[in-house]
Formats: sequence, C-alpha cells, structure tokens
Amino acid sequence: MIKFDKVSKKFPLGNIALNEVSFEILDNEFVFLVGPSGAGKTTILKLILKESSPSEGSILIDDMDISDRNFNDIVGLRRTIGVVFQDFKVLSDKNIFENVALGLMVTGAPRGEIKTQVKEVLKMVGLEEKSKVFPVQLSAGELQRVAIARAIIGDRKIILADEPTGNLDPKTAWEIMRIFKKLEGKKTIIFATHNTDIVNSFQRRVLVMKNGKLDKDHRKGGYEI
Amino acid sequence: MKEVFSSLRRTPYQTFSGFLVLFFTLFLSLVLFVSLSFLHGTLSYLETRPQVTAYFQTKTPENDIFKVRDELNASGKVLSIRYISQKEAFDIYRQMNKDNPLLLEMVSSDILPPSLEIYAKKPVFLPEIAEYLKKSGGIDEVQFQKDIVDRLLTLTNTVRQGSIVFFLYLFIMSVVVLTTTTLFKIALKKDEIELLRLIGASNFYIRRPYIMEGLVMAGIASTFSFLIMIGLILYASPFLGTYLKGIPSLEVNLIFFDFKVWPLNPLFFAATYLLVLFFGMTITVISSYLATNKYLKV
Repeated sequence: MIKFDKVSKKFPLGNIALNEVSFEILDNEFVFLVGPSGAGKTTILKLILKESSPSEGSILIDDMDISDRNFNDIVGLRRTIGVVFQDFKVLSDKNIFENVALGLMVTGAPRGEIKTQVKEVLKMVGLEEKSKVFPVQLSAGELQRVAIARAIIGDRKIILADEPTGNLDPKTAWEIMRIFKKLEGKKTIIFATHNTDIVNSFQRRVLVMKNGKLDKDHRKGGYEI
Repeated sequence: MKEVFSSLRRTPYQTFSGFLVLFFTLFLSLVLFVSLSFLHGTLSYLETRPQVTAYFQTKTPENDIFKVRDELNASGKVLSIRYISQKEAFDIYRQMNKDNPLLLEMVSSDILPPSLEIYAKKPVFLPEIAEYLKKSGGIDEVQFQKDIVDRLLTLTNTVRQGSIVFFLYLFIMSVVVLTTTTLFKIALKKDEIELLRLIGASNFYIRRPYIMEGLVMAGIASTFSFLIMIGLILYASPFLGTYLKGIPSLEVNLIFFDFKVWPLNPLFFAATYLLVLFFGMTITVISSYLATNKYLKV
C-alpha cells in the first residue's frame, strides 16, 4: 500500500511542486497518474522513490514512513521498486542480459538465480532471443521492453513508470501496454502518462494532477486533456 | 575482473596518467624507504661498536679504574662497559701484530695503557660520558666517535623528517590526481551510477568497480616500481659492498620485526614490496572513495 497524506513539496525559491496531495493506492493496484507537464506527476514518483523528501505531510509504503527524517533504508526501499523511464536508461556498454540482470545484481542475488530470472523476464517481454545483443542493435520499443524487464525482475512489488510510451510510436506503445497488462494484479503499478488513448482504453483508476494538486481521482475512469 | 580491465582499456589516457602518477609516487617512496633503512641499519651498527674508549695512565691503580667504571654504570646512561687490562691489551696487540716480530719486540705490557670500552644506551649520551671521563683522575686519553655518530644522527633525522614531508606531499599529490582522473571516468558513467542508485544499489556496489580498478593499478604500479628498485639495488650492490666493507651486517626494525638489510636479504625486500603495495592500495582506495563520494549523496 502506498499512502500520501497531505503531502506538499515546496522548493527553497517558493515553487510549489505538490500541494497537500492525499491518496492511497492498494497492493497490486494499477493506477494511471495523469496531468499536464509540471502538474506534479514526476514529483510524486520521485517522492515514492525517495529521490527527494516532502516538505510537509507523510508518505507511507506498507509500514514504512519514508517521509520520516530518521528513515534511512533508502537502498532497501528502492529494491522493492522497479522504475521504467521515458528515455529507457539502458546501458549501452552492456548486453541485454547484463542490463536486465542489473536489477538483481544490485541486490547481491546468486549467479544461478540471476540467470534463471533474467531468462524468465526476457521471455515475458519477448526478448529471449536477444539476450546477447547490445542496445545499439535494438529498436526503441525493444529498449523499453528491456527497461521493463529490468524493473520487474526480482521481488519488486511496485513499478513506477514515468511516461514509458512517451518516446514510442502508437503501435509500439500498445505493445508495451500489453506487457503492463500482463503485470496487472501481480504488482502495484503507477503509470504516469500523457497518452489519453491508453488511459481511456484501459479503464483503470486515474489520478489527475493539476498545478501540484490532486484534481480528480477516478476509480475507473478516463482522461481528457 | 573482466569488467575492471575492460574499463581500464576504455579510458586509456586517464588510466595511463593515473598509473604514471602512482608509479612516480611509489618509486620515489621506495627509494626513500630503502635509503632510510640502510641509514638506520648503519646507525644501529655504529651503536653496537665501542663508542667511547678511555685510556688510563699506565700507573693508574685498577681500583681507581673500577671506581670510574662503577660510577658510569650507576649513571643509567651506559649499556655496558668492558675493562681491558694492560695484559689483555698486550694480548690484543700481539694478536694484531703477530706477523711483525719487530713490533712485538719493541712493546711490552708495561707500556700499554689499561682502558675502558664503553657502550652508551643512546648516542646522545656520548658527549656527556666523554666529558665525565676527561674530568676523572688517571685518564690519559678519551676517544669516541662523536663526529661520525653525530653526523649520521643528523643525516638520519634530516632524511627521516624530509621523507615524512616528501611522503605526505607525494601522498596528497597522488590522491588529488587519481581522484581527478577517477572523476573523469565517473563523469562518463554518471548515468549508470544514477540508474544504479535508483534501482537500489548500495554505495559499496557502486564504488566497488572504481576501487577494484584502483587496486589493480596499485598492484601493477607497485610491482613495476619494486622491480626497478630491485634492479637498481642489484646494480649498485658491488659499490655498496665496497662502501660497507668490514660491516658484517646491517639490520633495521620494521613493524615489530628485525630485518637484515645488508647483505641483501630477500625477506627485507618481500616486506618492502608488501609495504609499497599497501601504500599504493591506500592511495587508490582513498582516491576512489573521494571521487565516488560526490555522486553518492542521496
């Protein structure tokens, strides 16, 4: 469970990125986080990932109050979260197997386990044949699938996807969404996007951000720009 | 390890400049260290020689000589005293000149003076002991190696103090240069580090490859500088042999162990290699730590 309680994020020069935002996301729930640029979507993801801390309010992830000043298990927290970025962040000097394995290697998992799990997730995202290939030889859609594989490998309960279809053509974007659909119900997914077609066709819960505030919380809704 | 070597190859200029600085530092440190060891060994050797010899007038009663000896023993500044009577002196003389009958005929035990050979606890006590002896009655002459020991002490202290300053300078210079070259490397991998942090890598996991690279460089630079140093010492050993002629062995105390420095001793060189390796590794680990620290602040 992820719970934001009156969370605000203010910057020293007075900019307000989030203003008293409250919501609760249940385990294994699929939530779209939508809104125009600068609405606070990325700030929410960064707060969950503990890349920054809130100025006010509290953030609970399961039983952990990650907004507490004394909270210091950032590494442990991040090992429960998988992140998918708009620009993929796939390392060019490592092959696909190594890129995906990173998600487990950082946790100190044994080699055998890494090998087995990487094979499994590559199969799931449809890249099992390309494990030895380097990123430069892959298309944008394939690179995003590598990023998803890296995010879901291991025991990561939460997936944060920051506009993962933003750099993809519509057809490839739908292929990526099919992978996310496979993950639905198995992991908590927070999917930040501008893509109204995807949000409307999925008909899942939508958190609409506007000017740093939570504007709407549609339990099963759509979204219009 | 494969990744470490591949990373070193990918940044050849940074690797080479880092290696050169490390090699320069370690080689100079080795030269200083070995020189200091020889100097200390020589000083220790000289300290084991009779340091003050007091020759008494031939008519001085033995009891007076023993009185001087006992007073010196009671001063707490003397390690040991050896009394050489006229008869013993004559025996020594005979032994030294056994091949020269003419010299033996000319000398009898009556004309040789009795003496005291005194070993001080510290070289700094020597002038004091010599001064005391000169003031004592019945003394004909006092000889001591003041000049040699003083010069050697001054030289050793100067070299030691200069070495500490120079070591520090080399250490700081190497750390600064290696930190900078590592920072260049890290700048190329900034995105990777950022990604690793976000997916839950510990600070140690992120630092490890840079530390490993540093350790590999330290290993190579230490080995190179050590081998060159060994080559130089072997080349210079005939000259050293001539210079140190008459000195059976030189010893130095290194980290609670006594090592023979001269004649050339493999154990001393093994310890020297371990020390230079440790010094090199310390430099690279600190540099890698400082360089990565900048990117690991959450």
